[in-house]
Amino acid sequence: MLPLSLLRTAQNHPMLVELKNGETYNGHLVSCDNWMNINLREVICTSRDGDKFWRMPECYIRGSTIKYLRIPDEVIDMVKEETVTKNKQSRDQKGGRGGQNQRNRPAARGNFGGRANKPGGQQKLFQKNKPTKLA
Amino acid sequence: MTSGLDSFVNHTVSIITSDGRNFIGTLKGFDQTINMILDESHERVYSTTTGVEQVMLGLHIIRGDNVAIIGLIDEDVDNRLNLSTIKAEPLNPVVH
Repeated sequence: MLPLSLLRTAQNHPMLVELKNGETYNGHLVSCDNWMNINLREVICTSRDGDKFWRMPECYIRGSTIKYLRIPDEVIDMVKEETVTKNKQSRDQKGGRGGQNQRNRPAARGNFGGRANKPGGQQKLFQKNKPTKLA
Repeated sequence: MTSGLDSFVNHTVSIITSDGRNFIGTLKGFDQTINMILDESHERVYSTTTGVEQVMLGLHIIRGDNVAIIGLIDEDVDNRLNLSTIKAEPLNPVVH
């Protein structure tokens, strides 16, 4: 399972984000992107020493400033379901348009020497997302 | 290219972060930038005066930038540890 898939699944869930500078942000995840940049709603920011607090209706956090994110335990079970269905889709699509290798080429570059053939193919999920992003 | 971390997935690992903290948990996944999913994690807080304090934390995504060391934990050995008798200096943060 990819960390960013888990983060995507955690949308609309509460979470705690600790930044590298020690500040923490508690809020509901609105959206996130491939760089871990995130949007939070109904945020409580806590200073490094935990002695000062700020409330804000929303905030945007640059991914590179994050140290870690704490996510509700149940979210990890929701990812599994999503991964399975997406894998099915990508397999179906492959069978459906066998001759369109050209279109798939950018994705194929990322399959790390055929590792994508493994049953637990998170790679496939990743590949599937890639062309979408390019298009 | 396979990462050596593949063999750690679904095993108990210890992650030392660059701020000197020690997280223990089940590695559920990782990516190219060493972002980690740690499930059922806890932090071990070391001190020279009292034994090791364990703080339960739950599900975590740790950003790869902050990961210094990832180690596989031998659960048999780990279960035999008596953490309350272990005293140690906490690690210092990495100096950049």
